[in-house]
Amino acid sequence: MSVAEEPIGLPDYLPAHLGARREPGPDHEIRLLVAPLAFLRTSRMLRDAGARFVTLLLADTPEPSLMGVFALRGDLVVLRAPIENGSISFGSLGAWWPAARWAERELVERHGARAIGIPPERALTAPDADVLDPRVRGLDVFSLPYGPVRSGIFEAIQFVIETGGEDILRLETRPFFKHRGMEARVVGLRPEQAVHVVERIAGIASVAYACAFSQAVESALGIEVPQRAECWRAMHSELERIASHLDVIAKEAETTALSVGQARFQILKEQTMRLRARITGSRFGRGVVIPGGVRFDGRIETAELLAELDALERDCQRDRRLFLGTASMVDRLFGGGRLERALVEDYSAVGPLARGSGVSTDARHERPYGDYRRLGLRVVTARDGDAMARVNVRFGELTESLRILRQSIDRLATIDGELTVEITGARNGAALGWCEAPQGELVIWVEVRDEVIHRMHVASPSLRNWALFDHAFPKDVLTDFAFIEHSFGLTPAGADR
Amino acid sequence: MLEWIARGLSKRRVTTRYPAHTEPGPPGYRGSVSVRDAGGAAPELARVCPTGAISVDGGDIRLDRARCILCGDCVRAAPERFAFSERYETAARSRAGLIAGGTNEDEEAEPARRALGEQVRALKRSIHVRHIDCGSDGAEEWEIQALWNPFYDIQRLGFFLTAAPRHADVLLVTGGVTGPMRAPLERTWDVMPEPKALVAVGTEACSGGLAAAGGLVAGGVDQVLGVDVYVPGSPPAPIAIMHGLLLAVGLLREEPSA
Repeated sequence: MSVAEEPIGLPDYLPAHLGARREPGPDHEIRLLVAPLAFLRTSRMLRDAGARFVTLLLADTPEPSLMGVFALRGDLVVLRAPIENGSISFGSLGAWWPAARWAERELVERHGARAIGIPPERALTAPDADVLDPRVRGLDVFSLPYGPVRSGIFEAIQFVIETGGEDILRLETRPFFKHRGMEARVVGLRPEQAVHVVERIAGIASVAYACAFSQAVESALGIEVPQRAECWRAMHSELERIASHLDVIAKEAETTALSVGQARFQILKEQTMRLRARITGSRFGRGVVIPGGVRFDGRIETAELLAELDALERDCQRDRRLFLGTASMVDRLFGGGRLERALVEDYSAVGPLARGSGVSTDARHERPYGDYRRLGLRVVTARDGDAMARVNVRFGELTESLRILRQSIDRLATIDGELTVEITGARNGAALGWCEAPQGELVIWVEVRDEVIHRMHVASPSLRNWALFDHAFPKDVLTDFAFIEHSFGLTPAGADR
Repeated sequence: MLEWIARGLSKRRVTTRYPAHTEPGPPGYRGSVSVRDAGGAAPELARVCPTGAISVDGGDIRLDRARCILCGDCVRAAPERFAFSERYETAARSRAGLIAGGTNEDEEAEPARRALGEQVRALKRSIHVRHIDCGSDGAEEWEIQALWNPFYDIQRLGFFLTAAPRHADVLLVTGGVTGPMRAPLERTWDVMPEPKALVAVGTEACSGGLAAAGGLVAGGVDQVLGVDVYVPGSPPAPIAIMHGLLLAVGLLREEPSA
């Protein structure tokens, strides 16, 4: 009996198993070509194999194709079926895979695709604030529209709540009030111009968007970024994560009327924003990350940065202890907005939301990119799936981000050299880029033709996770709404693009 | 709870004393772009700007801050002509007031401005603010929320947040106004009682910013409703928004742009 010298990896057996042809692609991208009729069957097999749905899109490289992206054990499987005779028609994935529903509706409503067997639903991408469309029948049941004009300083999104007065009988989340067409906006721009647009898709995750986009361009054109740039990218990303997590925690304190707690976490967040402004000249870390590297070194002395991080960590620990020791706070979050693990997996949710329900998924760990290939990462998870679990995950990640920052500062002292490489050589290419944004895994597909962006598609964590929000109120009442929404920690701008 | 109180008291005061004392951004902060040398420019210079904020007319550079997203492409391309300024205050009461370099066409608007100031001054120290998002990138919301954090504590100046537009004196609008948000915006403004002021927060609200070219946004709030104060910036910092709010209620005098 002969023994194979190396274990057979997924990339080797998958094509044969799925009846697909393997095409060359960059690391962590398993590109498979299938016949249009086999697209549905193959996606189904991927789901059965434990894959997570990422997105559906229309690609134009190397030829017009319907493309499905799935995350499977440390790789992204990119399923491509050529479009024949210009008509885009495919068997509905959303009919049996809840995670695919919204992505599929976007294809159908925006790009004229035909999904056979798609469940009938209200139009997703052209929302009308005045149409309530109630579905629950019963005495005293009424529809309560919440949004798109919110009662507070929040982004526009609408929730239609059907209620008998207290219980939430049915909830419908309606995104796309803010669709600005940012993906189409980059077409024809050079990568370093396009990054200005990309940074403004979701303003509170500018660094994550710039990183994922830049990595996609670099991967498409086969560019290797200097290590010093990768190190800075990781640092800017972690500072962004800290600010975002502190923002969620402050908002949770606010909704439970814990004034001092709210003030404390707001102070820590503002200090983080000011620190970012000192390092990059922008409170949101904009204008630093570009395809090919980073524009400049952080404008702060190492000792000063370390002192800031130490102070932040000390304050965070103290306030966390108080926060978690406040009965009124914990009582509120405990058991609120519980999401079962199976549901989270059905919807292929990502980020702190998925990790709070015991799903250990983190792009930094699954498909390490940039400096995360060298930095160790502890993926923080919690099992309960409630608002408390999601807050706990964020607290854990604050500590982890600070640890990564310190590790990066040490690394930075050992790497000299350039911050950017010139984008020369290849003028064409297409690839995925990804990173773990504060809201969860962000994946961007970029096609470059003759040195300009030909097509871009964003699979935002906010859109993917929001599909789950309709199910976040199994036992909760209207007054629980705000803190459950905050525990999701998503941004409509990223979802709507 | 006592522990929280002790924790709060153990920390020093962090609140800014703005506007009594001015507060600049940290060194290297990209608050706004100013024109260092406006004369004798080549027409091609206008092309470096991704939002068309720069125009060259007869060799004279004009920079429209309502369109500027602070990306710095111009500063990198022509550092002898453009520079970043760390100053937070960028708001103006008219689009013309946001144009740097060239001549200032703002003088005609002066009587209207004074009238607005008089009108809203009656509300001094009890001004209720409402916010509506019409397609921002989400960063403006963070910066407006920050006004109520202990660093800025805008309540000390008499600004309160209200959930009901019917109680609001000032409407903060973010975003370049997407199709589905147009009607909600008009309705929100209509039900606000007089006197009232509308503040456009962020470059997207001032001109549509980068999204304007896509055609899915109206290209600024003033394409839909009259704007009383423009606060450009991508996003404007909390102090910049505070400056805009104070301008809107006539508590501050506007400074001519550099």
